[in-house]
Amino acid sequence: MDNVSSIKFFIPELFLTVAVIAVIIAGLINKNKNKFLIPGMSVAALLGTVILSFTQYEMGMNSLFFNMTVLDPMSVFFKILVAAATIWIVLFSLQQHMKVEYYILLLITNLGMFLMASANDLLMILVSLEVVGLSSYVLAGYYKNNMKSSEASLKYVLYGAASTGIMAYGMSILYGLTGETNLAAIQQQLLTQQPYNLTVFISIILIFAGFGYKIAMVPFHFWVPDVYEGAPTPITAFFSVAPKAAGLALLIRFMTTVVGHQLAPGAAEWLQNMDISAPLLIAILSVLTMTLGNTIALQQKNVKRMMAYSSIAHAGYLLMAFVVFNKEGYAAIMLYLVFYLLMNFGAFFIIHMVAQKLGSEDIETFYGLGYRAPFAAVSMAIFMFSLTGLPPLAGFIGKFYLFAAIINGHWYWLAVAGVLNSVISLYYYAGVARAMFLVKTETKDAVSFQTFDKILIATLVIPTLVFGIYWTPILELTMRSIKLFAGN
Amino acid sequence: MVEIAVIIALLPLLAFVIQIFFGKRLPRQGDWVSIGAIVSGFGLSLYLFIQMLTRYDPGFVITESFTWIDLGSFKINLGIYLDNVSITMLMVVTIVSSLVHIYSMAYMEGDPRYSRFYAYLSLFSFSMLGLIIWDNLFGIYMMWELVGLCSYLLIGFWFEKDSASNAAKKAFITNRIGDFGFLFGLLIVVTAIGSFTLTDIAEGVASGKLSGGWLTAAGILLFCGAIGKSAQFPLHVWLPDAMEGPTPVSALIHAATMVAAGVYLVARLFFMLSLDAMIFISYIGAFTAIFASIIAVTQNDIKRVLAYSTVSQLGYMIMALGAGSFTAGFFHLVTHAMFKAGLFLGSGSVIHAMHHAMHKLDVHDDPNDIRLMGGFKDKMPTTYRTFLIYTLALSGIPFFSGFLSKDAILGGTLAFAVSQSNPIHYLLPVFGFAAAILTAFYMFRLVILTFHGEPQRKDLYENIHESPKTITIPLSILAVLSIFIFYTLPGINPFSAAHGWFEHLMAAPASAVAQFSGHPVVDISEHTAHSSHTLAMIISIIVALSGILTAFAIYYWKKMDVEALTEKMGVLYRLSYNKFYVDEIYEATVVRGLLMWNNLLSWFDNAIIDGLVNLTAWITRHTSALSGKFDNAVIDGMVNEIADITQGFGRQLRRVQTGQIQTYIFAAVVGAVVIILVRLV
Repeated sequence: MDNVSSIKFFIPELFLTVAVIAVIIAGLINKNKNKFLIPGMSVAALLGTVILSFTQYEMGMNSLFFNMTVLDPMSVFFKILVAAATIWIVLFSLQQHMKVEYYILLLITNLGMFLMASANDLLMILVSLEVVGLSSYVLAGYYKNNMKSSEASLKYVLYGAASTGIMAYGMSILYGLTGETNLAAIQQQLLTQQPYNLTVFISIILIFAGFGYKIAMVPFHFWVPDVYEGAPTPITAFFSVAPKAAGLALLIRFMTTVVGHQLAPGAAEWLQNMDISAPLLIAILSVLTMTLGNTIALQQKNVKRMMAYSSIAHAGYLLMAFVVFNKEGYAAIMLYLVFYLLMNFGAFFIIHMVAQKLGSEDIETFYGLGYRAPFAAVSMAIFMFSLTGLPPLAGFIGKFYLFAAIINGHWYWLAVAGVLNSVISLYYYAGVARAMFLVKTETKDAVSFQTFDKILIATLVIPTLVFGIYWTPILELTMRSIKLFAGN
Repeated sequence: MVEIAVIIALLPLLAFVIQIFFGKRLPRQGDWVSIGAIVSGFGLSLYLFIQMLTRYDPGFVITESFTWIDLGSFKINLGIYLDNVSITMLMVVTIVSSLVHIYSMAYMEGDPRYSRFYAYLSLFSFSMLGLIIWDNLFGIYMMWELVGLCSYLLIGFWFEKDSASNAAKKAFITNRIGDFGFLFGLLIVVTAIGSFTLTDIAEGVASGKLSGGWLTAAGILLFCGAIGKSAQFPLHVWLPDAMEGPTPVSALIHAATMVAAGVYLVARLFFMLSLDAMIFISYIGAFTAIFASIIAVTQNDIKRVLAYSTVSQLGYMIMALGAGSFTAGFFHLVTHAMFKAGLFLGSGSVIHAMHHAMHKLDVHDDPNDIRLMGGFKDKMPTTYRTFLIYTLALSGIPFFSGFLSKDAILGGTLAFAVSQSNPIHYLLPVFGFAAAILTAFYMFRLVILTFHGEPQRKDLYENIHESPKTITIPLSILAVLSIFIFYTLPGINPFSAAHGWFEHLMAAPASAVAQFSGHPVVDISEHTAHSSHTLAMIISIIVALSGILTAFAIYYWKKMDVEALTEKMGVLYRLSYNKFYVDEIYEATVVRGLLMWNNLLSWFDNAIIDGLVNLTAWITRHTSALSGKFDNAVIDGMVNEIADITQGFGRQLRRVQTGQIQTYIFAAVVGAVVIILVRLV
């Protein structure tokens, strides 16, 4: 589809772009006189984008801008997910009184993630990753005077640059092999030309380095703990969910075009374009990722750092579902992401609130919190148990569908590894609950939080409980989103 | 319509949530929230009920469902099933529950956990109403357990008393035994039919997906749940102990609603009962009816007499359902709910008065003991009059509701016995009539000892006062509802409800078992039914009157000396007084056996399982320590090394350029290379 006719399928992105400009201008005029103007505008912009994106569900499948991007229900799903995530982050940063740039950067990151969700060309992938990356680097170092924050930012830049370089190298090899940059065209070339197997494998591994860095997959995860610990906590929460979700959208797109193809259009299963044992590779990487994340999380005394490792472990769980190479697996990933957003945001928000009040993120800070701040402590316990995957919480449902997908695909050893990992994770998640409720402390004085923060936590804890019991609407949404997509 | 039913059930849930979180802070501790919720529920039920009466359609059914869990091959649909039976049941539960809520304002006044009490009442009302309207066994099972939990909480409401907390535990555990059977029955049904929904199960049974021995097994196992909840022999032991709970709770839960849930379940599953299952059910009911009424004769605690009477009357209902008299069984459930709730509330009124009198005189004695009462009828006229009406209804005297339903049950079992080839089934009506004599006898014994004769304790008697209006008004309402006319309309024949709305609307559901086999499960001709009914009516009037006369002869006119009679009855008296030693037998066998088994398991647990667990924990701990060490020693170690080397570059520079990031990137590149190398090898 040419550029002009593509415009009408690009309205949410255009709306967001205009909103970014509007926020910049408003920031210049306002000069921080009204504290709630900029966040309010940002939330309104994101809400508008979410609503506009919802209308795109009915548009079916379209290739836009000469096949640079696609619009399909899957990309719409991810767009809504990341925009919703950003709304929560904006609201949660409200007490911080961040400057205008903060909100602008969040919105631009959002735009980048929208492009990631719909990219259909190697160049577009690179560009969208960079848009997200560049603004993320600044966000990580947003507290300029905080050494840890600046350090995080710099590490993030260097690591991001290196992995993008590796990925670009991989892409160049792939381009050399096929002469195409469009994902679908590359698929056709691989199927018809049958280039040398090992070279294709090498190029795909190198490209995986770029994706792996975005979704925190071993061995490309090293930046995660440092950056997560150093960045402002709302931003850490954001990193742990939104770019990861967009990265997974890219990976799904990549797996269903460059790595695999369908026997017939609309079939539920994919086959590899060339025999490069991609499922086995991903299975091994996912086991490594979750095992490493979980075992190191066990050792952490700082809850925020523990959550960083836990988010690596969750990347491992999500990766598991790629091995089955079918729609069931992708739907499970999308379902899990929704629940993961709720519980992970909840956990990070509470850590942030506690750290703001009590000055530390160490586990000792949480001792006896169950008696000092019952609402926050009970919510935290719910998030922790949901992250472990215990019923009747949303996390259990998410994990259930992930495991169901891989068991239906006969990957039994992988399922066993996943379950063992969940058991390990119970130890450190329950450790937080134990600290809050079973450890007696000297100080008994109540810790009170702002009502606004409590309401925000409630918007996360209530769905975590409700979706643990009735999740059919979300499941139907994911099914609908995966039914028809450009990988077909 | 369905929406209204859902609202009826959800209102108390909302009240529960409000009460549990904010109850203490609300004015009047929030009792009005719970009362408001249940009374609104009553209003809405009344609306449904009136609609049902104007519709006057025995075959009315409305269902609506949604998909709850969809795993492709496995699906659970949840929904609402409304028919005349469930609407009537909604009505019964909301009436009794509303009255008990109002009654509790006076009865529980000043209790330190007043708001908590109302919270529990609301939760109970929610679970009971939910149980009534679910269209599937899964939902029913869920609510069933929730009802059990509420019962536990309410029996043990005064948990400071050891006896109350023990009774709560006993009730919960005994119910669990029955629920275990329920669960297995549920599993059989789902395995065979693949759905929890009642309509699907009916279709499945009708098409023969579940038949023969499995069907009977499923019926009996599901009935096990009812044995527990409806306190049938041999799981009846918890109900008398449950009287440790506050009396309004006894009236609501242990007389009118929760214990009726078991009967309701059997009524709901009536369509899938095979003949063998029905005979089993009927005998359990008949035996319970006679067994419990024998015990009731010798008890001295006013609430315990009523408790055993409840067990016995529930046995009646179960017996009727088992004998195929669906309408009669359900009819008795409704009438019994009214007058038995009334009896409990009446006894509560007496206990309340006794309690106050004892408190005033600083006497420490059992306020429930009827040997300390006597002559209260002048002191508590309203309580006495209403109590008498309930007693007449329970004894099966014409012009009262109990006569109609009890007569229908006895007629039904007699007809069943006549139509079966095996004469042994005459045992059912014989048990029924025998229990009827005893019922009339022990109830009048209770009335005479409590309200008539000379006061046994003058001091207490002087201080007995009539209860306040919030107690007497519910009593009067329930007494009015025990009059025959409410059940026979539009007919006005006090001897038969055959032409009343109830018998017309509550027709037995079509048996899916019969549909599959092609012939009725219980074949009773109209002629047999009619003649048995007339015969049963005559016998039951004679039986009831003779029971009453005996009671008067012994306790009022004192024609016989009670002491001498007790001597003469000897063994039988002791058996009855000690409740046939069932508790002691359980103690010696089940409890002792469990303890031994428990010791064995705990040894196994300590010696073997813990050893394994510790071993695994040890391994995990060391692996993770190793992995953590790797991170700390190797990664961080390299980092530190490099940091040491770059120390000379100044503080700021070192902070930024620790070299960590090089290691990180190095590790990432090595990782990618290793993956490729592994592939090459």
